[in-house]
Amino acid sequence: MASINRKWYSGMTTQEDWWAVWLGLFFFVMGFLSLAGIDLVGWATYPRIWVFNPLDGGKGDIASAFHALGGEYSLTSKEFYGGLGWWSILWTYVVFTCATCLGAFCMKWNLRKFFLGWTCIYFMTIATWFVGHHAFFAANTINCEKYGLDFALSLGGGASFILALIVGLIIGNFFKPFANFLSEAAKPEWYIKTAIVFLGVKVGYLPIKAALTSAKLGKEMAGLTGELFLAGAVATVVAYLIFWPGVYTISRLIFKLPRKTAAVLGSGISICGVSAAVATGGAVRAKPVVSVMVSALVVVWAVIELVVLPGFFTHVWPTTADPLVAGSAMGMAVKTDGADAAAGGLLDEFMRNKIIIETDGAVQWPEGVITASAVMTKVWIDMFIGLWAFVLAMVWVYKIDKRPGETVLPSEIWHRFPKFVFGYFATWFIYLGVFFAAGSGAPEGMDTLLAAKSGVIPVEKGFRKLFFMLTFFSLGVITDFRKLAEASFGKMVWVYLISLFLFIIPVAMLVAWLFHHGMEIPNIAGTVM
Amino acid sequence: MIELVIDHDGVNWNAKNEVLSVSSPTLDGLDLALEEQMRNKGLVKKGDKKKVFMAFDNSTIPQWIRQYAQHYFNRVVEISG
Repeated sequence: MASINRKWYSGMTTQEDWWAVWLGLFFFVMGFLSLAGIDLVGWATYPRIWVFNPLDGGKGDIASAFHALGGEYSLTSKEFYGGLGWWSILWTYVVFTCATCLGAFCMKWNLRKFFLGWTCIYFMTIATWFVGHHAFFAANTINCEKYGLDFALSLGGGASFILALIVGLIIGNFFKPFANFLSEAAKPEWYIKTAIVFLGVKVGYLPIKAALTSAKLGKEMAGLTGELFLAGAVATVVAYLIFWPGVYTISRLIFKLPRKTAAVLGSGISICGVSAAVATGGAVRAKPVVSVMVSALVVVWAVIELVVLPGFFTHVWPTTADPLVAGSAMGMAVKTDGADAAAGGLLDEFMRNKIIIETDGAVQWPEGVITASAVMTKVWIDMFIGLWAFVLAMVWVYKIDKRPGETVLPSEIWHRFPKFVFGYFATWFIYLGVFFAAGSGAPEGMDTLLAAKSGVIPVEKGFRKLFFMLTFFSLGVITDFRKLAEASFGKMVWVYLISLFLFIIPVAMLVAWLFHHGMEIPNIAGTVM
Repeated sequence: MIELVIDHDGVNWNAKNEVLSVSSPTLDGLDLALEEQMRNKGLVKKGDKKKVFMAFDNSTIPQWIRQYAQHYFNRVVEISG
């Protein structure tokens, strides 16, 4: 049966983009009920750093390597959730299996295949999450002694992300039949869009979290997220008015690619990856195969960036001197929401651990701010793809093809608008509203902020990190590096390589520095958050 | 307004509904074929103009891509009799 976007509400129950909103908002509402004293999300599973042989009285007992977050943060059911321990993995599995299978059913996927694939992906992801939290990977050189170790890699939660990606890549590149078996549930973009809605909860919660230690810190954090929001807007100008013309010119003048292919490639490389390639393909009326080919390239190159850039930004430039420059540059340089948010998450872990080591613990940054800077930039870019495609469509239909009698429809802007950003902004602004309504850290609002915290943490920490992990794993599964060697891609691989490393990444770094240099993340060392 | 579903099979653009069905390697060719078929079937009279809405069948986009983007294009063309 044909799937068409005819009405403004087309696809609300049948598209991943909308289902990211529904899943995100559903769990947001469940968490929000904590303000009414009802804790429905405390079962969210989360790992702790562990070792095989913890010191007497030391940290890292393997028996508590997984726990339900409600055991720590619930105000009403702490005992119950505290008793779940490793069983929280199953609780989380059951709830999210029901939620994602409902989505799969409505989207008319092969439900049996999705269920089996999802189950494998979930438990393999949990396994990598567990391994990645061994103290050797996740502890840092400051706190590794508490776990009885003399040395640790200081990767923080980043180790789990890397492991999930590596395991996914091994499956995707060396175990093709298994990758095909998982394919129905290997949906990195769906998972990351859902995680970005949860990230909205995180961004809204940052001022609340800071205000629980001091009202001044809370206001600083609210101001910082507002600054990130505004500074991220510049990325839109860069992506559309600098990157796109540059890549289009490289494709046309140096590589002599056909006009439509250059346009699609230009959007894929310089704007927002696959979604831009598809939007532009449709706008310029290219055969869909052009968008499909560019999309295949985008996915592979985005994973290469995901592997290279977080380490580069952390250790070469701009390092911990300008963490938000790094986050913003990531948002401009890495295509696809999944790879960008994943790279932002990895960068967040690397940077926070590095600053702790560099300052011997005197400076600590709250988790999530750097990720938010990477995602904020990307969300801005995403939002304008519909408008850009509309402009391109008018140029092509009215000026280049000059097809008589054809009209470009303004409704195309809506059909191409990324719907998950509604969830992101809604959850962010609602929790920001809670922060202000409770007096921005005034003593009389503390009970409200504490109640909000108990419902927020399982969502912004437990669910968000889980969906980030699922994204890393799924990205690996769907990425096949052999694509780069396929002759049919020919020049496009080289356009991508040159444009990305000699043009897009350097310009992204420069522009990020111009607009984010000097923005500081509040130091939370010494505060209990 | 007449409504059609359009897709691309790798070689041709195809547009069809219960009454009309046309194919062509190019969109220009598709519009011409549609014009001819509409005239032949009496759906547009000489001197008249009729708007045709074509909605792309997004289910023909590979499933792994649909999580990134789920809209290719819709177009409206005016067919003269």
